[in-house]
Amino acid sequence: MTFAHPWLLLGALAGLIPLLIHLFDRRRPRPVSFPAIAFVLKSQKRTASRLKLKRLILYALRTLFFLAIPIALARPEFVKSATAVTAKGAAATVVVVDTSLAMRWRDGSSLFDEARKEARAALADLLTEEPAAVLACTRAPAMTGPLSFEKSRLVTQVDELKPGYEAVDLNRCLEVAARALEESPLANRRLVLVSALTANALRLESEPPITTGPKGEKVKPEVVLRDVAKGQTLPNRALLDVRAEPAPQVGPGAWQFTFTVRNFSAEAQRDVELTLKVDGEAVTKGFVELAPEGTTQKTLTYRFNRGGAVYVEGALTPDALPEDDVRGLVVTVPKALKALVVNGEPNPLKVKDEAYFTDAALSAPGSPVRAVVRDADAAWKEELSAYDVVMLLNVAPPPAEVTTRLEAFVAGGGGLFVSFGDRANDVDAFNAALGPVLPRKLRVVKTAVEPNQADSSGRAARLTQLEAAHPVLSPFTGLAREGLVSTKLYRYALFESVSAGDVEVLATLDDGAPALLAMRKGKGRVLVFGSTVDRDWSDFPIRTAFLPFMQRAAAWLTGSLDEREQLRARVGESVTLPLTAEVAVVVVKSASGEERALTKDETGAAASAGPLPEPGRYEVLDAAGRPVEALAFSATLDPAASDTTKHDVEAVTAWFGEEVVKLAEGESTEKKTPLWTWLLLVSALAFVGEGVLLRK
Amino acid sequence: MSLLDAQLLSRLGGLKVRARAVVEGVLSGLHKSPHQGQSVEFAEHKEYAPGDELKHLDWKAFGKFDRYYVKRFEHETNLRCTLVVDGSGSMGFGTAGLTKLEVARVLAATLAHLLLKQQDAAGVAIAAKGRVVEVPPRSSASHLQVLFDTLERHEAAGETDLAATADLLAEKLPRRSLVCVFSDFLDDNGEALKRLLALRARKHDLALFHLVDPAELEFPYDDPTLFLSMEDARQLEVNPREIKQSYLEEFGRFLDETKATCTAADVDYVRVRTDEPLDAVLVKFLSGRVGGRR
Repeated sequence: MTFAHPWLLLGALAGLIPLLIHLFDRRRPRPVSFPAIAFVLKSQKRTASRLKLKRLILYALRTLFFLAIPIALARPEFVKSATAVTAKGAAATVVVVDTSLAMRWRDGSSLFDEARKEARAALADLLTEEPAAVLACTRAPAMTGPLSFEKSRLVTQVDELKPGYEAVDLNRCLEVAARALEESPLANRRLVLVSALTANALRLESEPPITTGPKGEKVKPEVVLRDVAKGQTLPNRALLDVRAEPAPQVGPGAWQFTFTVRNFSAEAQRDVELTLKVDGEAVTKGFVELAPEGTTQKTLTYRFNRGGAVYVEGALTPDALPEDDVRGLVVTVPKALKALVVNGEPNPLKVKDEAYFTDAALSAPGSPVRAVVRDADAAWKEELSAYDVVMLLNVAPPPAEVTTRLEAFVAGGGGLFVSFGDRANDVDAFNAALGPVLPRKLRVVKTAVEPNQADSSGRAARLTQLEAAHPVLSPFTGLAREGLVSTKLYRYALFESVSAGDVEVLATLDDGAPALLAMRKGKGRVLVFGSTVDRDWSDFPIRTAFLPFMQRAAAWLTGSLDEREQLRARVGESVTLPLTAEVAVVVVKSASGEERALTKDETGAAASAGPLPEPGRYEVLDAAGRPVEALAFSATLDPAASDTTKHDVEAVTAWFGEEVVKLAEGESTEKKTPLWTWLLLVSALAFVGEGVLLRK
Repeated sequence: MSLLDAQLLSRLGGLKVRARAVVEGVLSGLHKSPHQGQSVEFAEHKEYAPGDELKHLDWKAFGKFDRYYVKRFEHETNLRCTLVVDGSGSMGFGTAGLTKLEVARVLAATLAHLLLKQQDAAGVAIAAKGRVVEVPPRSSASHLQVLFDTLERHEAAGETDLAATADLLAEKLPRRSLVCVFSDFLDDNGEALKRLLALRARKHDLALFHLVDPAELEFPYDDPTLFLSMEDARQLEVNPREIKQSYLEEFGRFLDETKATCTAADVDYVRVRTDEPLDAVLVKFLSGRVGGRR
């Protein structure tokens, strides 16, 4: 017997009302002188026994009336207890408990709490001679042991179960359970499925589980369905994805975050609040409208005032499944870069100035680079270590001391950009001075056509093959590529074929000559453009591609582009981290403190850890236990796990086969007998009966 | 015919006025008095037989027919009527304007008035408190005031004692008399009615006026009530709704049995509701007697 509103049972005290009235409401009778009192007395004697019975019945009816109404309002239901024992006799049993993310759905108590109760009830229903096992259905389900008669141990096992964060494959779990049942000598087999029966967990298009009997015959196990959702739908909304990208149009340090939100319920949801949090602090909010079963995207922007690894999180207003209402990622906000632009050919006329276009490009809004322009003499006096990038624009061969400093600067992690011009015409002198830092030495300066010739446009050299995979050129695809390949080079440097190291040719001219060379040298990087960055040898500065090219070139030279590559990991899977020689990391640590050891792969260039236990931010710790900021990452949920759409119990029953689903439970099949309607009927009958009796 | 109901009579002052009002109604309702007064009238001739009074020989008939005929006369004596009024406590009950005793008084006084008016003798006996107040029948006109005073003087009290009154009358009434009894006959053992009916065996003419109040007939009580006896100390708390049906059955049976007993004993029985017009009651009674056997 269960009550929907047990507190209303207090109203049953109203059953005392007739008694109290009888005890305390004794009205004083009106005295009347009456001559025929003998007949009154005779009548009273005649009717005394009948009246006594009538009063008793009236009292009973009134008490029944006052008792039945509050009990009926408490909505009692007689729940017929399901027993798993069939008429066929003892059966080997495996209780499969769904631990998917959907089981964390809660309305008061969580579905998983209900699942524990159901699993315990299933174990309690077993006969003592029935062996059983409990299988937690996870991503990788496995039996923890053989079937056992120790029910107490199994109950403990159930109590220790925890819900996961992943989508699970119930078909796979049932298959594992079916195989375990085959180990039992008992002919009868039973699967108890304790689950919310979500559509993503149980695929009804595949075959239902089947076991092989002792004689090799195929036997369908009996199935007990315990729908922890009791047939009700599980409305849910979730943040399925978050994408981060710089938003230079908004301002320096600005990023935009695009969230994908999905509504898994059949009802529209309006004004759902979406909060953007940076390192746990809410910084901006927005609202999303969700159509029934619909998906929408929402973009929020934020300007970071510092660089480095930042944990950014989007959070929806929590619903019944709050775990998937939050999704985070770690973004590496580039630090402000400082570039020393060495102007090899200053000119009072700005458009003739060698550094004019470069300075303009690096100083444009949204640029991560702050440029400092110096002529060569002044530049050589600068402390190079104060800069992240040095850009040599058509400089004359510097003194050897400068070359040495430049070499040390690059080796120490600095970036060096080199472009040419008329000051490089003396190729030998240039090679002698800057050869140690160049990827390849200059061979000769080639003139494709004089810029002022009439047909210079047609005869000018053009960039053809672009290494689009390289971070510097990766944005130049589609129309953006046109902006780059339409550049006309009238004069350019030809390089020796011998490289000084591991040199990448990022772009070549239509005659096959390399036009853009990239090289890593020590901790630093060198990028060489074979022509000018003013309009003396090319029209590159007036092309649309010039500005983003220069900014990305500066960013790549400092390693910023590498840092922006976000590391994505998923809960339940392993994460693979790139390793560097400088830092030896040993463990990843979740926000709640759970740790997973890192294991290096064969090459030693990467290490993996997992499976990741929970969503959220993870820190990567070195041997000394210090977090390595550059490797921090965020683990997210599988979007499929958020899909809480349910199967009908009838459909699942039909899939297993109605002949084997002996004791299906759930909203549609649970044998509940509502008693409150009968109580109301009894109350009404008591009321009518009391009225009729009073009239007699 | 004016119908005088109890409500109207209750507004009239004394018994004399009430009685006169009823008398007027009665006389206007009767075309002929049933009483012939004090006279000796020829009835028939009878052939003489030895032993007949010689003084009644009709000599004129002897002259005509030469045979002896004796004149026979119808000798009517004056009617002697005793009006017996029950003065017990239960007669003091009344819910329709007049109590049963007041109704009995009016009826008795009216009859006395009518009787004396035609030179019949009327007397009164009031039974109450274990004694009988008796005024012997007389036919003088001045006797009417004595009867009125006697009737008016007495108030309802004590237990019903009609049995003793009946015994007294049986002893005292010298010859055939008319005895009119006004009572509710609510004694516990029904002895009073038996004794009264015994008067009939002594050749007295008996008429019973059974007085009933509407409340006794309808039992119009709903709330819990403490019923108090009007003749003794009995009291009873009941829920009238619960016993009403049973009471009505019991009381109805009592009325029917009383009437049946009277009818069987050849006694005039008149049931009088205290709320009905009294002149109509008497007109009905007297008409019955004129057209009836007596």
